[in-house]
Amino acid sequence: MSQSILDLCQSGVRAALRFGATDAEVYGQSAETTSATIEKHDLLMAKAQRETAFGIRAFVGGRLGFTSTNDVADLERACREAVVLAQASPADPGNVLPETQTIAPVAGLYDPAAEQYTTDRVVEQAIEMLRIAESVDRRVVLGDAEFVSKRSERAVANTRGLGASERTSLFLYSALATAKDGDRVSNMDYQFGATRSVGEIDVEPIVRRASRNALDSLGAEPCGASFRGPIVLSPQAVEALLVGLILYQVNARNAVRRQSRWGDCLGRKVAAPSLTLVDDGRRAGAVAASSFDREGTPHAPVTILEGGVLASLLHNAYSAAALSQHNTAHAIGSAQTIPAIGPTNLAILPGATSRDDLIAEIRQGLLVTRFSGNVDPVSGDFSGVAKGAQLIADGRVARPVSGTLIAGNVFECLETLSGISQEVETIASLTLPYVRVEGVSVTAA
Amino acid sequence: MQQLLERIAAEAEDWTELRFQARQTRTLTIRNGLVESSTSVRLQGVGARVLALGVFGFASTTDLTERGLRAAVAAARSAARTSAAAKRDRVDRFASASLARGVFPVDTRDPLDAHSLEEKLALALETEAQVRAASAKIVSAAATYDEIQDEKILVTSDGASAHIFDSKPSFRVLAIARESGDQSLGYDTVGVTGGWSDLFAARTTDELVDHAVRLAVDPLSAPQPEGGTVPVVLDPELVGLLCHEAIGHTVEADIVLGGAVTADKIGQRVASELVTMCDSGLSPYDPHAVGTLPVDDEGVVTGRTVLIERGVLRSYLHNRETAAHYGVAPTGNARAFVYSDNPIIRMRNTYIEPGEHEVGALFAGIRRGYYLRGFAMSGQADSNAEFMFGVREARRIVDGHVGQLVRGATISGNAFRVLESVDAVGNDFAWEKGAGACGKGQAAKVDAGGPHIRCTLTIGGRQE
Repeated sequence: MSQSILDLCQSGVRAALRFGATDAEVYGQSAETTSATIEKHDLLMAKAQRETAFGIRAFVGGRLGFTSTNDVADLERACREAVVLAQASPADPGNVLPETQTIAPVAGLYDPAAEQYTTDRVVEQAIEMLRIAESVDRRVVLGDAEFVSKRSERAVANTRGLGASERTSLFLYSALATAKDGDRVSNMDYQFGATRSVGEIDVEPIVRRASRNALDSLGAEPCGASFRGPIVLSPQAVEALLVGLILYQVNARNAVRRQSRWGDCLGRKVAAPSLTLVDDGRRAGAVAASSFDREGTPHAPVTILEGGVLASLLHNAYSAAALSQHNTAHAIGSAQTIPAIGPTNLAILPGATSRDDLIAEIRQGLLVTRFSGNVDPVSGDFSGVAKGAQLIADGRVARPVSGTLIAGNVFECLETLSGISQEVETIASLTLPYVRVEGVSVTAA
Repeated sequence: MQQLLERIAAEAEDWTELRFQARQTRTLTIRNGLVESSTSVRLQGVGARVLALGVFGFASTTDLTERGLRAAVAAARSAARTSAAAKRDRVDRFASASLARGVFPVDTRDPLDAHSLEEKLALALETEAQVRAASAKIVSAAATYDEIQDEKILVTSDGASAHIFDSKPSFRVLAIARESGDQSLGYDTVGVTGGWSDLFAARTTDELVDHAVRLAVDPLSAPQPEGGTVPVVLDPELVGLLCHEAIGHTVEADIVLGGAVTADKIGQRVASELVTMCDSGLSPYDPHAVGTLPVDDEGVVTGRTVLIERGVLRSYLHNRETAAHYGVAPTGNARAFVYSDNPIIRMRNTYIEPGEHEVGALFAGIRRGYYLRGFAMSGQADSNAEFMFGVREARRIVDGHVGQLVRGATISGNAFRVLESVDAVGNDFAWEKGAGACGKGQAAKVDAGGPHIRCTLTIGGRQE
């Protein structure tokens, strides 16, 4: 490609203006991805992909149209179509571009050594994951695993004078393990790791953890009796059960949509005092760090919940304008989607109690490693299977249990949350502790 | 483009597959009276797959010049050769098949492009307004129209050369109701393979609105179910979900080879003899099911595959690689969502054949149980056929009569044990024809359905 992505974005902005837009934004991204996949405990395939795509937002007054193309030669047509779509739509006063701000670059997003990370090295890493699983225990099977090396460039330009671009490198690795011992088959366990730097690639911890968790769930038996009581959630279960619902409530777009229960709760208590939730798109070394969001607004740290009190919603330009609140730079999405809202590097701050002490205070309860189920983000009702679960009896982890259902309401769980561990785990861009909640229905299959 | 792809494939040293795809998607979302999105996304490219030294390599490109395409083939070949030393179980056979040649148009008399942007926008605006007007308890409403139109050219070095067109529109309605601080979400969707009038022949927008509003408003005062294992009647949508999610994935041959519960069970009884289950690239009983496709992404002409015949497991779902491994014919289940995805084994339209019972008779035999309808947002199943699904609408059955609504019901269990417990199969049939997609590393538009059935399973609920 002779022109840079940013040059092409800027030429797209000029084209949109020529076709009748009153404002316009063009977001471009290009990526080179190499991956190797393990399936059924064997190398399945290596893949190489190159792609470039552009997303165009054309504004005509408060009217908005969006188009996307992955063909540079099609960019001008896509700009014209975005204007046509805008002209056909009713106006919405929230359709605005963000205020242009100076962007301070975040260091460490791109490792030049990634350019030497060729297909054979990607394949080597995948094979290394197999070797590690086998070294843990011969009963472990890597059903699915993947190593991905990705180099990207993204750029955004708009009619308010914004023109920014950034290169990133990213290595992603995941492992899904089960353990087989004769006729006994464990629950599967899935672990994920990521880094931006070649020197920090380390597939071993995630493969070992997935393998150990799978082995620990071998020989699980039904729970026995049903009861209502406390459960301790692993960081992975915290993500599945609590974080998704919290993010739905603090997504300001859902407040605009009148779908968030916390839309008008700023400054009010919405959870137990021990819960503090922060997000930082600039955190050094974190995998979701970047200098600016999908709309070109520079990232900054945000406290979302402080001691259980709602301190901030997450905004992009649309929701900030619609609710007359500060834009927190949480526009997310690709060149093929209109900017949405989402977190960057999200963390629940650790508590003062150890994981073992959270368990020691329970007479009858459940330790949930993974939650596979349904959380209704509107009502808060949840119901699903506690995977890789361990029964807690008289303050100790007693035995693995299978086929156990848990049900309750997440809003109630956030209020009755009775403990947060000192220990935290990093799951991609999330940093989460173990959490104990009360009054959950546990149904034995 | 087709001639160029044929020439490159013919000159390839190794088995080579080239798949050009041009996709146009349009989405219109109206929420609370405003246009939330009006989008048009166009993407095109070629995926190249090469089998060299017993290993597949894959590469994709958006450079559609001859040089760009040859570079993609070379990259795929290089990826295969690089992997060869590490591959333990090499692909030493590749099943022959009836490979497609010719043009495969969309089965519709009413193409989507015959309807203007303004007409589609007006319908979405009008439908969303209907939701808000339906009840004073509705606090948020949305209507979304989506369409995916594909043109594919598929060429393989062993003879496939097919020019395939596809069209999959869908419509979704969402309602959120609030009362005394309690909130509830209701939604309904419709999706087809076909054109504009095919979409609304399946369900009208009035029906979608009525259903979504009822599902949002009615649960506001409803209790949660009591947990336990009980007799239930499943509607065609949940029957389809059970077929697809909990059984279907366990008979995908790549999953079988990975150690699924169905391994070595061909010819064995795995379900009640009342159960016959199939997967088809066609749309039997009712046209325009979402997963309909004439040719798969390896160029194999699709048909109907009987998976379970009167309770006995008869077949897995195959691509050309797994068909060769098992010594059977490919079933036409290799699918890729976009050009940059490599084809993998996927379902199409998966269903249970209708039985002999009047639907009303299914309820008569239940003293205490539930009538379960529709799928609520999330679900999951393992390769051991253990599943968990949220239920969109659950009502108590008391002495054969359907009564009180309960909220937040979840069902779980082992799908084969559920199918063993089937003691009555209705004589009705419906596809789900929904707007969703199946995920297996990449998306696939699929459909599922069947008749009403009566069986036993576990419901998650509140313990006191």
